[in-house]
Amino acid sequence: MNSRFFYDLIALALFSAVIVLGVPALMGYDGFELNTFARYLSLAIVSMALALSWGTAGLLNLGQAATFGMGAYAMAMHLKLRASDGLPDFMGWNNVEKLPAVWVPFESLSFTLLAGLLVPAAVGGLIAIFMFRARIAGVFVAVITLAFLVAFQLLVIEQQGLTGGQNGLTGLAPLTLFGWTVDTYSASFYYLVAGCLTVALALGVYLSHSKFGLILRAIREDAERTRFFGYNVATYQTVIFCISAALAGWAGMLYVLVLEFASPTYMGVSFSLAIVIWCAVGGRESVLAAAAGAIIVNVLEGRLSDVFVEGWHMLLGIVFVLVVMFMPRGIYGVIVDVVHKINEARRGGRQNAAEEALLPATIQTNRER
Amino acid sequence: MDVVFNQLFAGLSMASILLIIALGLAIIYGTMGVINLAHGEFVMLGAYTTWALQNFVGLGVLTALPLVFVAVAAVGWIIEKLMVQRLYHRPLDTILATWGIGIMLQQAVRLSVGAESRFVKSPALLSGNTEIGALVMSNYRLFVIAFSIFVLVGSWMLMTRTEFGTKLRAVIQNRGISECYGIESKRVYSITFAYGAGLAGIAGALITPLFSTIPTMGTGLVVDAFLVVIVGGLGSLIGAASAAILIGEATALMSAVMNDTLGRIAVLAGIIILIRFRPRGLFPSDTRN
Repeated sequence: MNSRFFYDLIALALFSAVIVLGVPALMGYDGFELNTFARYLSLAIVSMALALSWGTAGLLNLGQAATFGMGAYAMAMHLKLRASDGLPDFMGWNNVEKLPAVWVPFESLSFTLLAGLLVPAAVGGLIAIFMFRARIAGVFVAVITLAFLVAFQLLVIEQQGLTGGQNGLTGLAPLTLFGWTVDTYSASFYYLVAGCLTVALALGVYLSHSKFGLILRAIREDAERTRFFGYNVATYQTVIFCISAALAGWAGMLYVLVLEFASPTYMGVSFSLAIVIWCAVGGRESVLAAAAGAIIVNVLEGRLSDVFVEGWHMLLGIVFVLVVMFMPRGIYGVIVDVVHKINEARRGGRQNAAEEALLPATIQTNRER
Repeated sequence: MDVVFNQLFAGLSMASILLIIALGLAIIYGTMGVINLAHGEFVMLGAYTTWALQNFVGLGVLTALPLVFVAVAAVGWIIEKLMVQRLYHRPLDTILATWGIGIMLQQAVRLSVGAESRFVKSPALLSGNTEIGALVMSNYRLFVIAFSIFVLVGSWMLMTRTEFGTKLRAVIQNRGISECYGIESKRVYSITFAYGAGLAGIAGALITPLFSTIPTMGTGLVVDAFLVVIVGGLGSLIGAASAAILIGEATALMSAVMNDTLGRIAVLAGIIILIRFRPRGLFPSDTRN
């Protein structure tokens, strides 16, 4: 266990203590506030999922919202079936006579939970195999995933009889988990989401410090050299893409539980780019920072958009441009730099020159061809 | 058969608009490797400038064109100086920064002009249709097609027949060595970015009579235009032109065979497959990196 792993574990412990113990106390266990915060936490999961593929492996996935939406729709389909006897109402409006075959297995909760993870993972995997076998990298990954996202959203809106089209899936039943009916405005539901985020983050921290994560970072720095070392680059990229997609699906399932409806806007280009913003503001190199970034931006949005209704997006745009220009590593990068400076000052600059040479030049990870 | 011809014309009309938008994007991307996601907002700015000129000054779409070009090019030049210039060594970050700029421009227009849709009169000179047998072509759309060819030829002449074009191509091929020969690459970049933005502005002016002018109008266009650039091949004008025609026609014909949405999905799927097998586009230019 090296020191970076150690710091990350401490940060993870602190982070989960804050969201599990600190936040509910701060909110005074108020149901409405906790529900709002649970929404931020589920968005934090999708942001950290992007950090895994973008920050660790250097694959900018602009289609993250598509896999998020798949998870969301899986959960919404289950809850919709629970809410309606027989045929869901919108199918009747679209002249669908019989429950479509895709919908039938979603009667079962365990199938739904599995599908919410595995369907996004499978779709992500297919796109990944398709791209990475051909050694597609850099900007082209962003373009292909973006085109896929646009096509997928159009498809979802088009298939009204299956998905509810533009309206999405509304009027959902509450989830019943092992006989416990989930009340989304309760503290216990908040703990469920907070627990999910903690597990996802623990997985993310483990992955980024494992040998697997090390190879991914090597790929990010120079895919060609990693290939010369004998690693199958495409396989590593595909696996991390699948994991990231599954986590996004998981976040989508929680998001539907919080908001109690599913809408095709979850698969919109602007939502997908918003995920990128959160991740970049927090710091894409660390899953914890990316999750914190999502929470910070969303809390600010919640607070400030009340004050400046129209000006909020303007502010978000300005902050984002400034972050990209002057803090390319996000808040995380600033913290790392400050800590590094403090350590250096304490040591009195004895072996600086030697150490600086050994520090990884993470700031330049974006230099892609 | 009439349906086919009319769809082909519709496709060509769409391709001509895509082409003008994509040309600016292609020149910016080809020269500096900057993916300008704010390009759609430049189109939107062009449309609003046209609206403002018509509403407050009383200029028609055609007389407004040069003014719109200059106005949007100026905005592009400022943005390049202030932000894009700092990001040349981080191409992937330009996607993010220019998207942030796009949000800002969109919001600025929404705050100052309002979110409701604006109406621009099409020029009276070009009203009416030209009919050849059963093929009905609106004169304005014919004009847009002709104008897009004019812009394409103009850009080509600029790149190949002027001193600035020679400098530009030198910087594309090798920035370091061109600087050794006294070419100010920063200046070349600024002018190129402004020119690309200006072209987007012209596209915005031209589409005002065809589309409704709203602050979000650019978002959908930029994705399409960007796909045209990638399919065409980096920095290739001929590539951008043929990709625009290909995508415009494919969308029009697919929409006729299936429906609008499915046609678009089919075209997007086709583009994804094309990029997968020809990541450098249909007409890759041979530059040394």
